[in-house]
Amino acid sequence: MKWSLHTPEGTADILCQEALLRRRTEETIAGVFGGYGYRGVETPIFEFYDVFANNAGTIAQESMFKFFDEQGRILVLRPDLTTPIARLAATKLKGEKPPYRLSYCGNAFRNERETGGAKLREFTQSGIELIGADHPLSDAEVITATVECLLAAGLENFQIDIGQVAFFKGLAAQLGLDAEQTEQLREMVDRKNSLAIEELVALCDADDALKALVVSLPSRFGGMEVVDGIDESLLGDTARSALDNLRQVYSIIRDYGMESYVSIDLGMVQSLNYYTGIIFKGFTHGVGYPVCGGGRYDTLLAEFDAPLSATGVAIGIDRVVSALMWQKKEVAVQPEITLIACDNDDRAAAYVYARTLREEGKTVQMWLDEGSRDDVKNFAKEAGIARVIWVTADGAQELD
Amino acid sequence: MKDIVIALAKGRLAELSIEVFEKIGIDCSQMKEKTRKLIFENEELGLKFIMVKATDVATYVEYGAADIGIVGSDVLIEEGRNLYEMVNLGFGKCKVAVAGPASMAGRLSGGNNIRVATKYPHIARDYFEFKKGQTIEIIKLNGSIELAPLVGLSDVIVDIVESGKTLAENGLVVLEDITDISARLVVNRVSMKMEKERILDIVSKIKAEIAARGDRA
Repeated sequence: MKWSLHTPEGTADILCQEALLRRRTEETIAGVFGGYGYRGVETPIFEFYDVFANNAGTIAQESMFKFFDEQGRILVLRPDLTTPIARLAATKLKGEKPPYRLSYCGNAFRNERETGGAKLREFTQSGIELIGADHPLSDAEVITATVECLLAAGLENFQIDIGQVAFFKGLAAQLGLDAEQTEQLREMVDRKNSLAIEELVALCDADDALKALVVSLPSRFGGMEVVDGIDESLLGDTARSALDNLRQVYSIIRDYGMESYVSIDLGMVQSLNYYTGIIFKGFTHGVGYPVCGGGRYDTLLAEFDAPLSATGVAIGIDRVVSALMWQKKEVAVQPEITLIACDNDDRAAAYVYARTLREEGKTVQMWLDEGSRDDVKNFAKEAGIARVIWVTADGAQELD
Repeated sequence: MKDIVIALAKGRLAELSIEVFEKIGIDCSQMKEKTRKLIFENEELGLKFIMVKATDVATYVEYGAADIGIVGSDVLIEEGRNLYEMVNLGFGKCKVAVAGPASMAGRLSGGNNIRVATKYPHIARDYFEFKKGQTIEIIKLNGSIELAPLVGLSDVIVDIVESGKTLAENGLVVLEDITDISARLVVNRVSMKMEKERILDIVSKIKAEIAARGDRA
């Protein structure tokens, strides 16, 4: 097998049209984040394994690409960008007044068991982290900025679903579940497997109405009515304040006039060790996976000795772009090319002319050959270039 | 309006699924004819049915190539697919079990690594290594699993057991049950959000039909 002709599974070359669309999308999103005052930062492509091996980590060690440095320490290709930025914020921004608003755009790497479609081993994420802010206004800011990014990128018909993991954690504690049972229940709720939930909660010593509430979690997604229908006298302190928090964030989003893009999903529960409050995901037509995801992670910074609350979002550039191409929205058009040709003696004049056009914002190629006007016209025809200009010391003339 | 795509597992499971869809008022007559077609359209309802291999149903649904699928829970457990598991349809019942020669009874725990032949390497590993804490050697096969212990390829097998007839005819017995299996209705995570009304309409009708069957039985 000639491996030299192929790219590894889960990676891809990106050809001109798509590359242009990706770059535009990245720039558009960066522009929205920039407008909110998020400052761009960059972190290394590879880091010490230890950075990602913390308690709050969500990334299985088998899904990281690992290698060793000359001292035998384990290095990994970064599997996400949030963790490195948490490290950066905790260690490099000491002394600055929080909140820190940081943004990034870069590639991350996961050694996925199965690849293809929307599952890549190398993927691009653009996102923000809002560190040192725990007011509901900060959760709402991240969600609102995300909506604006997806709108600006040109997606139509998308939806952001908001959940609250502390609500689930509180209910699980009220049921008296231990860590392992809580994880089992989380998985069942996450898969909307109501029957399995019923079987699990039947074994618990708890109020029947509370059990019924837990069983109803998978169907509690939609508008605010899924929250309003809950009998709050059933709830303990954790669950009740989680629900209050969700209401506050939603009402801020409503005040901003963004509620049409947002719905609630109380059955969205992932990565309980990592997320601590509001979480959200974005969905659209044309990709079977969320195009973005984010939420509050108040314990991660403490892993780097800076106990700061934090929230953020990562937008999957690959998924947004494939949704845009599927929705056939505004597929980026390559700029029109002007071809400049001249006799050898006139190349100084031709260069000055080309440079002037470029400074006006035109895309100008030089003919890299010598010959007659007919030769260059034939070349342009074959290359699909409509506009050809022949330059002499006396002036420029468009050939047709 | 976008078509809702429903993936069915070719064979017995598809027949049982079609019965349910007809019961809830979705015409499936063209799918009951003998044909090699793999895709069937119901333009009036904006539905498309696709026929795929049982083990591929969950893949189609996870990737969003199908919005809804009907698949055995063995496939879901084995492949750990990222989707919503909405309804236990109650048909296609069987179990996944450890089977082997009767002489293996009592020799399953303790002792040296045992060799397990199976087409469910994840279920087998999860059961032996995580639940029982026993290291095993997996031999992945694609069919006629019962043969493996008979010719000395493995000590035991992990496989689907329906009536136990195939096992008995090959001189094997069920040594330990791992889990019960039945058909499940699964939904793609994005489709559930983007096409909530139409999908929940189908799901709730099927739920009602399955519940009514339970009452009739």
